Amino acid sequence: MSLFETILTVYASLTRHFIRAFLAMLGIVLGIAAVVAMLAISEGGKRGVIDQIKAQGIDNIIVRSIKPTTSANNTSAATSRGGIEMYGLTRADLDHIRNTFFNIDKLVPVREISTEIYAGQVKTDITPISSTADLFSLISCGIIDSRTKPFRDANDGVLMPTCYAGIDAAVKLFGHREPLGRTIEIGGVSFTVTGLVEGLSQGRIGGQYNINNALYIPMAMADTIWGTSVRARRNTAASATEYDLFYIKVKDLATLPDTVDRLKSYLSIAHAQNDYEFQVPYELMHAAEKTQRIFTLVMTSIAAISLLVGGIGIMNIMLANIFERTREIGIRRALGATKRDILVQFLAESMVLTFIGGALGAGLGVATAHAAEWVARMNGDMTIQSVVTSESIIISLIVAVATGITFGTYPAWKAANLDPLLALRHE
Amino acid sequence: MIELINLSKQYVAGGVVIDALRPTTLTIPEGAFLTVMGPSGSGKSTMLNLFGLLIQPSTGTYKINGKAVSSLSDNATSRIRNKTIGMVFQSFNLLSHLTILENVCLPMQYARTRRGEMRRRAKALLDRLGLQGRYGSRPTQLSGGQCQRVAIARALANDPPVILADEPTGNLDEKTGTEVMGIFTELNRSGKTIILVTHNPAYESYASHKIHIHDGTATLTS
Repeated sequence: MSLFETILTVYASLTRHFIRAFLAMLGIVLGIAAVVAMLAISEGGKRGVIDQIKAQGIDNIIVRSIKPTTSANNTSAATSRGGIEMYGLTRADLDHIRNTFFNIDKLVPVREISTEIYAGQVKTDITPISSTADLFSLISCGIIDSRTKPFRDANDGVLMPTCYAGIDAAVKLFGHREPLGRTIEIGGVSFTVTGLVEGLSQGRIGGQYNINNALYIPMAMADTIWGTSVRARRNTAASATEYDLFYIKVKDLATLPDTVDRLKSYLSIAHAQNDYEFQVPYELMHAAEKTQRIFTLVMTSIAAISLLVGGIGIMNIMLANIFERTREIGIRRALGATKRDILVQFLAESMVLTFIGGALGAGLGVATAHAAEWVARMNGDMTIQSVVTSESIIISLIVAVATGITFGTYPAWKAANLDPLLALRHE
Repeated sequence: MIELINLSKQYVAGGVVIDALRPTTLTIPEGAFLTVMGPSGSGKSTMLNLFGLLIQPSTGTYKINGKAVSSLSDNATSRIRNKTIGMVFQSFNLLSHLTILENVCLPMQYARTRRGEMRRRAKALLDRLGLQGRYGSRPTQLSGGQCQRVAIARALANDPPVILADEPTGNLDEKTGTEVMGIFTELNRSGKTIILVTHNPAYESYASHKIHIHDGTATLTS
């Protein structure tokens, strides 16, 4: 029988028992729907996490100052300056790492300027930070620069203090007016905005400062204005740090784990207390990928079980179907159908059944994933997003049809090998 | 021409060997109208099934037009059932979920006839058997006589030289039965070999050759 005739035959027999065909494929529909929905949500989750990690730069090492928890009872370990307890990364660390770690391409210190930023009379959540020009090459961002006053490290800022602004910060401060050339007061000093910074994704610097919601002041300028150690306007603070974080870019990604180890051993000797922490996007990425692999494995197992159940349903229905249609098989054999014709007919039936089931399931899965995302969003949870890839649809259709072949082969083989005479006499 | 050479069939049931058909040698010329008669359990059905290649003989050779057709592969046997022998059954054996046109098309589907050609021929056969305009009907919508005419049209679909009919009038009233026998006579005149298994001695008057079976022993008279 030709392929076209086979399809017509399959269509005729499936539409004859529409409800039965639908129930038979229900297992496949739900199995595939679960797979597609979970793949979409996990893919969405994966992209979210990996995008955030990538935004910090995969060949970067971030060392962050943290306030030691033991400092209250262990005052001897902490150094004190002007009555303020000092902790975290120091100028000595910066110099040592710059001078002795040769596989480091760039080392960018970041210090938060602890002061409030006002838009007119309104307090904002904008964070001013000081850093060097290299920062912009380490975080994924785009720069619009006035070119008259580049972001420079040279110490000439006292005469003409300038800063760059994140685009969200610029909107908060100046509305929709052109921000370049406008001035803003930071810690009692008037700064002219000479550049705009736009993060390419919703990245945070060192996982802390929103790229788009920060003001960027050249480190040398900040040092001159406020001094290197004690932050501006933190007179009431009992403790302070020289640098909030170091952004370190290695020359060669292969040396990254080794560099992390060496940095850790240096800092463990140089610092009496545990007042720093490492954040390595590369390691985070590996950890995220490992989690992802476990998740995928669990998902695959669940999918396999649901498809097994669906497949058994198909096999069950096909066996019942063949028993009921024994006489039809006998008639077809008497009229000249070969074993192969019968095998192909019934195998095609289970394949069409599972293909339709797979297609309905994929549709249902996509709808479920979007619904989950929508419900989460309604409840204010933006972390759940669904990404339906065409691969996941194609793979699930192939898997559905493969299930049809796997579980349809035995019933079809049984049908093909019925004795024509006994089949013909079957009541 | 159909030849049976020492053809026999034995069944084993409960450890006992039953001679359903004892070794039989006979020749049926092309274009014959053969009736096969005998009481129930005589081996009539066995002979029919052997003719229709639905069972394999225990011994001997079955030849159609000089070609041995017993003990062939499944594909070859299926091809002979498809193209050389047209079968008509007592209970019609039409597929109830298909239209009568689709039923007539079935043997041609297995012969891989092109769809247009297939439908044209099926319509011509149904027209010839008085079913014009009923192509879209289902078998359940037709009378017994009409169903049997659809079944005959189906048997003729691939224009086989031999028509094998198993009690084709068994489910029909006498008048309809006579009409159906008229169709077979006409087909025989057009050159087809007809093998008719029947209980009805009246139909022997149509026959050019007769087989009587008794306890597995077949005798041919002409």
